[in-house]
Amino acid sequence: TLRQTAAKHFGKSAMDASGLESVIESILKLGLNQAQLKQLLTLNPKIAVQPPQRSLAALNALNLLGLNPSNIIKILEKCPDLLGAKAHQLQPLIENLQKYGLGEGSLQRVLVHSPQILNLSAKQVNNTVRFFKDKCVFTAAQITEILRTSPNVLFEKFEELEYKFQYAYFRMGIKQSEIAKSALFRVSLEELKQRHIFLERLGLYQTPDKKGQTQIVNPKLKDVISTSEDHFLAKVARSTHEEFDIFKKLLSCEEIEKEELESSEWGD
Amino acid sequence: KKWASSLPRVPSTQLALKSMDMNYSLQFGDLWPSIRLALLCEQKYAALLNGFGDMEKVIQEFEERAQARDFVYEARSQWPEWTPHTDSQPRADQDSPAPGPSDPEPSEFSDDCTAEQSPSTPDMKQPIPISPNLKCFTFPRGDTTRFKPARPDGLRLLEYYLMDAASLLPVLTLDVRPGHTVLDLCAAPGGKSLALLQTECCRHLAINDISISRLNRLRKILHSYIPKNLRTEDRLRITSFDGRHWREIERNTFDRVLVDVPCTTDRHSVLEEDNNIFSRLRLKERQKLPLLQTQLLLSGILATKPGGSIVYSTCSLSQLQNEYVVERAVEVAETEHNVELHLVDLSAVRTLYRNTFHFYRHCRVGELVLPHLTANYGPMYFCKLERIH
Ligand SMILES: C[S@@+](CC[C@H](N)C(=O)[O-])C[C@H]1O[C@@H](n2cnc3c(N)ncnc32)[C@H](O)[C@@H]1O
Repeated sequence: TLRQTAAKHFGKSAMDASGLESVIESILKLGLNQAQLKQLLTLNPKIAVQPPQRSLAALNALNLLGLNPSNIIKILEKCPDLLGAKAHQLQPLIENLQKYGLGEGSLQRVLVHSPQILNLSAKQVNNTVRFFKDKCVFTAAQITEILRTSPNVLFEKFEELEYKFQYAYFRMGIKQSEIAKSALFRVSLEELKQRHIFLERLGLYQTPDKKGQTQIVNPKLKDVISTSEDHFLAKVARSTHEEFDIFKKLLSCEEIEKEELESSEWGD
Repeated sequence: KKWASSLPRVPSTQLALKSMDMNYSLQFGDLWPSIRLALLCEQKYAALLNGFGDMEKVIQEFEERAQARDFVYEARSQWPEWTPHTDSQPRADQDSPAPGPSDPEPSEFSDDCTAEQSPSTPDMKQPIPISPNLKCFTFPRGDTTRFKPARPDGLRLLEYYLMDAASLLPVLTLDVRPGHTVLDLCAAPGGKSLALLQTECCRHLAINDISISRLNRLRKILHSYIPKNLRTEDRLRITSFDGRHWREIERNTFDRVLVDVPCTTDRHSVLEEDNNIFSRLRLKERQKLPLLQTQLLLSGILATKPGGSIVYSTCSLSQLQNEYVVERAVEVAETEHNVELHLVDLSAVRTLYRNTFHFYRHCRVGELVLPHLTANYGPMYFCKLERIH
């Protein structure tokens, strides 16, 4: 029946019957059941026609990382093209991520969360790591922490990452160690500003002076950005949704006007 | 000069905030953060209509295109027994059933003090005395739309004046009646003088301010809003005296006196460096404000006829510049000038306008509008005194 599904897609002649047979066998050996096998074929019908080693490279690699069949399917659902990736593309990338400290458990979590990482090249990962080291002066351990909690950084523009970092570092006065712990790079700059400036105007957040001192005890960055809005308003800002909603509207007008002012000043 | 420039330059707005954090967190407790937030965000404006211009057109535009409403009229129409003194407006309750006195109070605007019993609904047989003929449009609570700048109409007068809606409360509270002689002791740049003229009740309005340059701004405003034939000398007098010495000119003269004193202008002070009273160089001046305010209020009291009334107002949250000044001036008036005064209970005004403003509920005397993001007006403190003899 699987053969029939494949035949429908490509016509009998194109099929390499013995090849497909061996692919199916290997897949079943990895612990996937018939239904999951069928799912794979529909996800990427090329399995039936391409050389077996190409269909199996990604599956083997994911299996080697200790991912169970249902997680493997989850990953391939999001990135069906992986079923055609070559082993010599995947292996260095995975080794690279491991080198940056993403061990067994954390690499699995990151992959299930953002499997698109496997589409990156080892070089792209290296560049991001170097950016964090050179431009933001994070330690290796802090970079691992960031990759673990915010793998999305691997896909973002350095410009934006840098701006977000500078906002937290200079404007809010937060040190690298706390930034790394707070999943800063998972929230948008807009959201970060909204919550920070809201607290600042309420008198609940102060940028430390040159000696690193403040008159009040600032809330932890983690509690400012990595909490639900309900929790943030009830526990950190002690304010209401009504006020925060109006504030967000006013702040976005302020930002637009500031930009207009700046661009008109540069204009002439 | 040298040593001054070597001091670290802290912006005056920062000094202002620091001082307010210290004083107001004590004065207002848990309410302060929310007030602070509102002070630092865009203020809301209201449009005071120019009754001498083509009002119909503007009203129609506001009601059709914008969601703006006349808060003065709306509040008033909630009181079915309200009988306007000179108002020719049709009564609102004729076609639309207005909420009666037995309706539950909308509690939306209450802050932490909901538990406290709300001010009793005012006695229906005694309508709240407020100045007539004022029309002032505002956008509803939470709506952050802005009014467009006013245009000149067919008569070349501007259609409306943009102002903090809370600035109208002292004028409404003053309750000017037809034929009154009125003094505006600290009048420039003139927003409240303009509102006083809009009541069309002043037989004579005396406008005074110590600052000539600010009076020039006031003249410009009057030019843009008031027809020339109403700006004649017998109706309008503009002077530039030190208000503290008014008694040397006139005593026991006016039916109504507005004393809108210089103060720490809290909203301005946390936002603008220019002309900031919290600048280190103005420390002495700032410390002397309560004294100056007391002297000005006393002067206003003495300028009032027996039977007349006085409204004292500031745009500061500070108890030292508000309640304390009133209490002190009343005391001095009684002990040193043998003038007996009656402090008017304004809780009815607070109830009347509770849908538009966020009032503070704990003033010992007078009323205070707190800035709040849902209704970002004020701060505006106002207190009314009646001169008995
Ligand atoms: C809060 S402002 C008045 C605002 C004005 N009522 C309005 O609604 O546009 C205070 C004014 O008091 C004036 N002033 C200060 N000291 C004074 C004094 N000794 N006598 C009279 N006016 C004074 C200032 O020049 C300033 O214009």
